[in-house]
Amino acid sequence: MGDDKTTLGGIHISPNAVATIAYHATLESYGVVGLAPKNLTDGIVSRITHEPLRGVSVRYSGEDIDIDVNVIIEYGTRITSVAQSVANTVRFHVEKALGLRVNSVNVHVAGLRVSDTD
Amino acid sequence: MGIAERVARVEKFRKMPIDGQSLKRLVEAGLTWLRTNQQIVNSLNVFPVPDGDTGTNMVLTLQAAWNEVKDSGTRHLGEMAAMVSKGALMGARGNSGVITSQILRGFSRSVHDNATLDKEALVKAFGEARDTAYKGVVRPVEGTILTVIKEVALATESALGSAQDAIEILEVAVKAADEAVKNTPELLPVLKQAGVVDSGGKGLFFILEGMLRHVYGESLETPTMSVQPLSAMNLQDAMGEVEEGQDYEVVVDFVPSGELDLSSFYGRLEVMGTSIQVGEGEGMYRMHIHVPTEKRYEPIDYIMGIGTVTKVAIENLLAQMDDIQKSSQLQFTPVEPGQIAVVVVSPGAGLSRIFASLGVAAIVPGGQTMNPSTQDILKSFENLPTDKVIILPNNKNIILAANQAKEVTVKQVAVVPTRTVPQGLTAMLSLIPDGDLGAVAEKMTKAIATVKTGEITVATRTVEIDGVNVKDGQVIALLDGKLVVSAETVEQGVMDLLEKANAAEHELVTLFYGEGITHAEANRIKDVIVQKYFNLEVEVQEGGQPHYQFLISIE
Repeated sequence: MGDDKTTLGGIHISPNAVATIAYHATLESYGVVGLAPKNLTDGIVSRITHEPLRGVSVRYSGEDIDIDVNVIIEYGTRITSVAQSVANTVRFHVEKALGLRVNSVNVHVAGLRVSDTD
Repeated sequence: MGIAERVARVEKFRKMPIDGQSLKRLVEAGLTWLRTNQQIVNSLNVFPVPDGDTGTNMVLTLQAAWNEVKDSGTRHLGEMAAMVSKGALMGARGNSGVITSQILRGFSRSVHDNATLDKEALVKAFGEARDTAYKGVVRPVEGTILTVIKEVALATESALGSAQDAIEILEVAVKAADEAVKNTPELLPVLKQAGVVDSGGKGLFFILEGMLRHVYGESLETPTMSVQPLSAMNLQDAMGEVEEGQDYEVVVDFVPSGELDLSSFYGRLEVMGTSIQVGEGEGMYRMHIHVPTEKRYEPIDYIMGIGTVTKVAIENLLAQMDDIQKSSQLQFTPVEPGQIAVVVVSPGAGLSRIFASLGVAAIVPGGQTMNPSTQDILKSFENLPTDKVIILPNNKNIILAANQAKEVTVKQVAVVPTRTVPQGLTAMLSLIPDGDLGAVAEKMTKAIATVKTGEITVATRTVEIDGVNVKDGQVIALLDGKLVVSAETVEQGVMDLLEKANAAEHELVTLFYGEGITHAEANRIKDVIVQKYFNLEVEVQEGGQPHYQFLISIE
C-alpha cells in the first residue's frame, strides 16, 4: 500500500505523509484539545526533531492502512461521540486526499483537559 | 393566528418571568421545530464526513436533554438548565451533537444561580455558551455551528443596551443566527462548492427559531417556506413521511416567468397538499409536494400559470409505500443511552415483524442454513446509542457467533441462549428493558423453559435418528431440536408432533407458517388442531422462514 506504478516510475506515499493528514484532521475535530505522544521516547524524539506528528502513528500492512491517534479530549464532552467523530474525520480526510483505503482508525483517549468544572 | 392575538401573546410572555418551567417549554419548542426541519438539516451535510445525519444527531441530542427535564417540576431556572445540560451531554451524538451539548453546558453554567432569566442573564449566557463551545477545539473551523453561536453572542451583546427584555434578545439572536448561517459558504469553501449552508449551524438556528416561534404562538409542526439549493434537495428522504390521504407525489420543474413570490407560492401549495419542498438552481425551480388523489393535477395547472413547466413527475406513493412496508421497513424500538437493547436473529420477514412489534432494537437476518457471522451480529448493535445489549441467537448454531460478538465488543453484552424462534419470542415477552443487564438476561433465560418448540420440515436424506426412520422427502417433526416423528404430509406431521408434545396439557399453540405455505393452508391445519384439542387456543402467524413449513410454539 502506498506504492503505485506509472509508466514513468513509482509513487510511494510514506506513512509520515499519511500521518500529517491524520494529525491535522484530528486537531480540527471538535472535542479534541491536543494530541499526546504515545510513549516517553516518542515524546522526546518529537521534541528534538520538531516533528509535528506526535500522537499519530501509521502502519501499512499489505493493502491496509491502520492509523492510531492518541488524543486529549475536553472534559465535559461525551467522549465516545468525540472519539467516533475523530475516527470518521481522519478516515474521510486521508481517503479523500490520498485515495487510499483506510482499514482502521484507532482513537486512544490519553487524557482529559479540564477547562471548567460544572 | 392574527396579528392582534400574537401581540397579546407576546405581551403576556413579557409579563411572566422566564423561570425553569418556561425554559423547559422553550427547550421542547426548540426540539420540536428542529425535528420538523430535520430532513432539511440532514440534506445539508457535506462536511467533514458526508453521511447526512447532522439533523438526526442534533435531534437525538436535544431529545436526550428533553427526556431529562420533561418530568421535572422545578421552577428554578438554573436547576432546570443544569438538567438540560446534563441530558444533552449524556445523549450527545455526532460532531454537531457534541457541540450543541457544549453550547448548552456553557449556557447552563452561566445561569446556574439565576432563578429567572432577564435580558442581562440571557446575553451573558450566550457569551458563556460561545466561550465553552470554542474551548472544545484546538483549531476551530469557521463557517460552522461555532461561527453561528459566536455571531449570536456578538449580536446580543451589542443589542443589550437597546433591547427591552429577554424576548427582544431572543429575536436578535434568531436574526443573527439566520444571517450567520447564510454567510457560512463565504467562510468555508467546501460549503460553497457544494452549494449549501452549514448543516449544524442551520440546526442551531432552527432550535433558536423554534423557541421564538413558541413565544409568538406559531406552529411548530409545519416547516416554513424556504428555497433550498437544487443540489441539496433530498426527495428520497421525503418518501418516509407520507401522510394519511396524501397519495400522490408530484414533482414539477419550472422556470417562473417573473420573480417568484415565495409566500403566495407556498400559500397556494399549502392548500393542495403537504411535504412541500422548493429548490432552485440557476433560475430553474423544482417543486415537490404530496397531494390527495383527486388533486394530483392541481399543482401542475397552478405552476403552468406562473411560468414554464419543463418536467413533471407524478408517482403513486401508496403503491410505493406498500412495497417498502413489505420489504424491510420495520419499526424498531428506539433505545436510549443506558437502556437495554435487544438484538435478535430472525429467519423470516414475518417473524422479524413480530419481533419488531415486541420491542427489539435490531434484527440480524439469519437462521438454520444461513448463519450470520460474528461481524453481522456486531454490526447490528454497535451503532445503537446504548452500551447494554442482549442477543437472542434463536438457533443453536448461532449461539457461538453471538458469544464471539460478546467477546469482541466493548459494550456490555449478555447472550440469552435461545435455540429456537419460539424460545426467542417467549424471552422477548419477559423483557423489562431497564435495570441490571445480568438480572434481566437471567429472567429471560428462565422464561425459555416455559415453551416447547416444534419444527416441521422435509428430510433431505434417508436416515435413522433417535429411533425414527426417515426417508428422503418425508415430512419430519422436531420437538425441542429432537426428531420425534416422520410423516407423509405436513398436516400429519403437525398432528403427530402435538401428540408427542402432550399438547392437551398446554394452553396455547402458535403456528408460524413458512415460505411455501399459504395463510389458508395454515388456517386449515389450525381447524384440524382445534377439532382434536378443543381446550387449546391456536394462533396462526406469518413467519416467512425458509425450509421450515411450520415453527410451532407450545405454551
